[in-house]
Parts: sequence; structure tokens; C-alpha cells
Amino acid sequence: MTRDAAALPAPDRVADGQAKIARLVDELRRVILGKEQTIDEIVAALFARGHVLLEGLPGLGKTELVKALSRLLSLDFRRIQFTPDLLPTDITGSHILQERDGRKEFVFHPGPVFTSLLLADEINRASPKTQAALLEAMQERRVTTFGETRALPDPFFVLATQNPIELEGTYPLPEAQLDRFMFKVDVAGVERSVLEEILVTRVHGEPPPLEPVLSVGDLRDLFSLVDAIHLPRAVAGYIARLVAASHPSSAEAPDAVRTFVKYGSSPRAAISIGVASRALALLRGKPGVGFDEVRQVAKPAMAHRLVLDYAARLEGWDGRRIVAALLDAVPEVERALPQTLERG
Amino acid sequence: MPVSVLSALRRLRRRLAIGLFLDAWPVWAIASLLVAGVTALVCRMFVPAAASRLPWLWIVPLLAVVPALVTCIRRAYRPAEVVALADALGGGRGLLLAVHETNDPQWTDSSMFERAAAFPLPRLRLARSHAAVLPALAFLAIALWLPQRALRPGGTVLADDIASDLTATVVELKQQQLVTPDEQERLDEEIERIRRGAQDRVDASSWEAADALREKLAADLSGKQNAVKWAKDSLARYQAAVRAGANGSNGESSADAQAAELTKALESLAKSGLLAGAPPELRGLLKGGTLPTDPKALGELSASLSKYLETTNGRFGEVAKLGKEFGRFDPSEFPIASDEPSPDGDGEPGRGGINRGRADAELTWGKETQLFDRFKAEPLPPGAARSAEDWAPIVELPGVPKASPEASVPSAVRQYAAAAGQSAWRRTLAPRHQSAVKKYFAK
Repeated sequence: MTRDAAALPAPDRVADGQAKIARLVDELRRVILGKEQTIDEIVAALFARGHVLLEGLPGLGKTELVKALSRLLSLDFRRIQFTPDLLPTDITGSHILQERDGRKEFVFHPGPVFTSLLLADEINRASPKTQAALLEAMQERRVTTFGETRALPDPFFVLATQNPIELEGTYPLPEAQLDRFMFKVDVAGVERSVLEEILVTRVHGEPPPLEPVLSVGDLRDLFSLVDAIHLPRAVAGYIARLVAASHPSSAEAPDAVRTFVKYGSSPRAAISIGVASRALALLRGKPGVGFDEVRQVAKPAMAHRLVLDYAARLEGWDGRRIVAALLDAVPEVERALPQTLERG
Repeated sequence: MPVSVLSALRRLRRRLAIGLFLDAWPVWAIASLLVAGVTALVCRMFVPAAASRLPWLWIVPLLAVVPALVTCIRRAYRPAEVVALADALGGGRGLLLAVHETNDPQWTDSSMFERAAAFPLPRLRLARSHAAVLPALAFLAIALWLPQRALRPGGTVLADDIASDLTATVVELKQQQLVTPDEQERLDEEIERIRRGAQDRVDASSWEAADALREKLAADLSGKQNAVKWAKDSLARYQAAVRAGANGSNGESSADAQAAELTKALESLAKSGLLAGAPPELRGLLKGGTLPTDPKALGELSASLSKYLETTNGRFGEVAKLGKEFGRFDPSEFPIASDEPSPDGDGEPGRGGINRGRADAELTWGKETQLFDRFKAEPLPPGAARSAEDWAPIVELPGVPKASPEASVPSAVRQYAAAAGQSAWRRTLAPRHQSAVKKYFAK
């Protein structure tokens, strides 16, 4: 989608959009305690119309977060528990021979992918063939069976989860398929104070009752508002330099990239950072993207797109740490301050 | 953009320009200071004429401003870069950038924009980049503080030393009236030539030239001393001859001969310039060209000439003392003439005494034997060729000499001659080859 760069969204419109998103964020924070940054990242990806891969240990609230999101958005929600024997048609749906008006014919029964918000739980437990069926639908936003192509609902989000332990019998997602996810969000543990709060307020751990805060119409308005957020050329240049520097052959690549990265991020990473930064800027009530938003979304958008060398694992480097090194090495403004000047 | 934001951006732009200048200037200043320091060192060592202008080198850091300004202008930040830096300095909110790019005024009144426009100006950090200028400044200061090397190189000092030694000798000779003005002029020219040569390069030839001049001086003085001596001796002989003639003996012809010799001696004296300082009455007496014969005039001439010759001889003595004052002047070159003969002789070759002869004489040049002192040629007795009878046998050996041809043959050949072709191969052939050789020779 192209846009006219000569106008900023009106302040009232931005404020209204920010308020709607803020309500959503507040409700989510009521459900999932102590995960402010994770919630911000998921909401940013949501309004950037990107899919999210959640990775974390069991019991950290990944599924609960997605369920809460579906309730708050009043979107159609489906959940697929990925298992090794799951077939592609279990996701996409299939044609079944049925008798109708005395005639037998194949009738298409849509699979769970035909929903607006899909929770693909433990996606790495399904076979690659099944994973590919979902990932194709994520990219194309349509499903083709028996030569018939059917569009998926709009909006369509996939929030997949995977467990970093119990890897026996799992099928790690290939890099090309990881690239389909806009963000990979690491769901970390919670602090002691948060645990105390959960114990006090939730007897069985059930979430508080939720009411929808955004309709589908609101969502569409917010999507168009996100697209209207201005991405200044200097910020776009920063994103481009970040992504370019993630390649070990780049002249600007820091030592960590040269040492531990085999292949850098794709242009899709730059697009993801741009659109997610726009969404985050709207979340902050700004008509344009700043360097700050880029720095915040760079880790979830780039970390899973880096193909690391085996040495990275041996040295304990992961994608997020390398992106952090990138953010330290690449200056926000291409021409930095003169050496005799320093930030006040 | 609001005016306040534009003015803030202008301030930032000025600050960035200052930062760029302060980035560029130290490099140029250090380079120029180092060049100036090296220049000052070179001038201090080799170009004394530039010493008075060296303090101007202090303006070199100021001159470095020009290339620094050129660099600063060429690298100036563009407006978009200034806004991007302002936005980054303000926390990277992006609003300044967005408003700058879109020129959309609807956000300029918002509080968010006011916060974004209130970006802090970067601070100057002089210590880090300008610390390196101080050593360069110190280098220039030390180079300028160093004392100027002397204009006269060591060769000039030595040349003056050599020349002053010779000049002092000539001055002393002039004071003693032992050199004529012409001679002095020639000597001065010669000394100046030696001095100039030594200024260019001091080596053995400089000292040799000085020594040669010194020897020439000594030779001239010696010649003059001999002339005085000759004149004294001739005068004494002339007086004796005149007295003998007056007594009626055959001194008439002898007096004429001695008069001729005295005339020659006086001519030699005049030629050497020693008569230039003679008293006027002596010169008047000598002006006639003929020597007086009457006893009274002869007595006056003898007294006057003797007195003058004594005075002149005394001057030679003074010059001889000069040798103690000027180390390079050998006093032995100027022996004080005395009428009393030394018990060991006067050291002059052929003049008698136990030290006569070339073996004890000083090896000097220019002391040619004067006419009056020459040996007279005496023909040797005629020689005679020796005859065969002059030879006599010393001893007579008995018998005929033996001829022994074997003794002339080399000993090694004699040693192996008997066993030739029989035993030599045993020594040189390896055992495994011996059978093959035997088979070959058995045919």
C-alpha cells in the first residue's frame, strides 16, 4: 500500500485511536499481569496486521493472552492444538461427499483457519507439511483446495505458540516460515510481586471477566490510521541501516554480527519494523514514527529472522542479543554529532 | 515550523558548525605546529638569518583556521540532518521530523510538539580532541626556545686561528722593521688566501699552507740575517785590509777585493730592505757608491754601520723571542747572532765545531750558502785504472770439479723408477677391480 507523505493524521483522530488502543492494552494488562512490554509488542503487531509467534515456557499465560485478545476484539476465535498427527486438511478444511437434494456432491467444510483470530498452540509439534499449510494461509490470507481459492476473513491474525523445551518429537520451524511471523515474542517469567498479586486476586487463576472494547469497524479504522502514521525518511534510513548491518558482509556490521550471524534479516524485516513502528507510534499518540519506536520493535521483528552460526549457541548469543548489539552499533542519525559535541 | 523551533534549529546548526570546526581545526593545527616546529629547529640549526622571523611561527595555528573552515563548510550539515539530530537529541520522538517533512501545521500547537522542540543542545567537549594540540604547541615552544646555533661554523674559527697566528707574526716583524711594505702586503694577501681556504674547508692542506708560509718567513728572515752577517764580516775584513794597506804591506790589492765584497754585501743588505731603516747619515755615507779610504771616514762608516748592524741583529733576537709567544713559531729558526763563537760551533754546516756536518744540522730549506761562505773548488788527483795484477787468488782448491747428473734428477722419480708398472697399481686399485685389470694386461 502506498500513501501520501505530505500530510499527517489529525491530532483528534490520533488521540481517538490512541484512546481505543489504550483501552485494549489496559484490559489486556488486567488479564496478564506484569507483561507490559509483551502486551505492547503483541498489540503493535496486531495493528500492523502481522502474525506473532509466542515462545515461552508452559503456564506463562500465552494462551490466556490470546483468548483475552479475542474476547476484547469481539473477533471470531479458533484454537488449534498442533500435534504430530495433525493433517493439513485439519487446518484448511476439506471437501466431504454429501447427499443434497438427492444428489451427491463434494461440499467444502472450512477448517479452523477460517477465523479472524487463530491460536496455533505448540505449532512446532505438527509435521512440516501441516505447518506449511498454515504458513501459506498466513502469507496469502487465502486457502486453495480442490482448485478453489477461498479468502480468509479480514482481519486475520495468527498467534502461534511454541515451547522452547521438550523438543523431542518436534519440528522446528524453518527460517523461511519463521519469516512469515512479524514478531517473535519471548514470554518471560513474572516477578515475585506479580505472582503475589495473581495469588491474591485469582483463586483458580481464572482471568477477570472481559467485555469487547473494539469492534471490527474500529479495527479497520485503526488499521487505516496506522497506515497514515508518517514514517520520516531519516527513520526509514535508520531501519534500512539496521537491517543492512545485520548481514555479516555489510561494512557497518558490528563484530557480533560478523562472528555469529550466517545470514542477516530479509527486507520483510524492514517492512515489519516500519509498519510495527507506525502502530507503536499510534499507541503512543504520535503522528509520526520516531527512532524510539524503531528501537523498541527491532528486537521482536529481527531476532527470529537472523540465521545464526553454530558458534552463537556455543557462546550463548541469541537473536535478541545480537539485535541489541546492532542497536548499539548503528547510530540513529546517519551523520552523528561531531566528536567535540556530546549529548547534553 | 514555528519561529521558536526554527530559532532552536538555527542554534543547533551553529553548534554543529562549531563542532565541525573544532573537529577539523586540531588536526590542521597539530600538523601546522609540527611543521612549524621542524622549521624552527632547522632554522635554529642551519639558517641563522631567519632567527628574527621565527616568532612569526606562532601564528601558524591561526593560519590553520582557513583549511579548517573550508573543511567545515564542505561538511556542513544539511537541514534534514539537523532536524534528524534535533529529533534524536530530543529523545527520538519523530514529531519534529514528521512536521519538518510534511510541513503540516496542525501538530505544531500540540504540547507533544513543544516537548519535541525543546531538545537540548549538544555540549562542547574540548578536552578530549584538543589535548593533542598541547604537545604540538610545546614542541614549537621548545623549538623556538632553543638557542640559535652560532653563525660561524667551526671551520671559520680554525681559519681565524690560523690567520691570527700568522698575522701576529707579520705584525711583529713589521714592528721590528724586518719586512718591507711590499713584503708585508704580499704576506697579508697570502694569509688572507689561507684563511679563506680554511673557511671553506679545514683539513691538512690548511695547516700545510700555514706551515709553508711560516717556513717562507723563516727563510726570508734567515736570508736577511745572513746578509747582515755578511755585511759585518765583510766590513771587518775591509777594515783589516785597509789597515794592512796603510802599514805598507801588500794590502792594496786585498783592500780592493774586500771593498768589492763589502759593496756586494751592502747591496744584498739594501736588496733585502734592511737599509730602509738605516739612519740618514749612514745612508748618506753609502750613497756615494764608493767606500771611503781615508781612516777618518772609514772609521765613521765602520762605527755607524757596526752600530746599525748591531741594532738589526738585536731585532732578530727580538723576533727569536717571538717563538715563545706564538707556539707555532720555531725560535731555533732565528738563532741570536753573536760574535763569540760557541765552543760547540754554530751548528751551521761547514762552519766548524764539533756539531758540524749535515748529521747535526737542522733540516731546513732556504739557507743557501752565501757567496762568501762557499767552499772553493779543489780538483781531486787524477784517477788510474786497475790492472789484472791487482787481482790475487785467495785460496786454491785441489782436484777437478765432479760432474754428477743423477743429483739433478728429482728424488721422487728416482724412488719409484725401479717399481714402475709393478707396484703402483696395487696401491691405487680397489681389490674388486684388480682381477679386471689383471685380465686386461694378461692378453
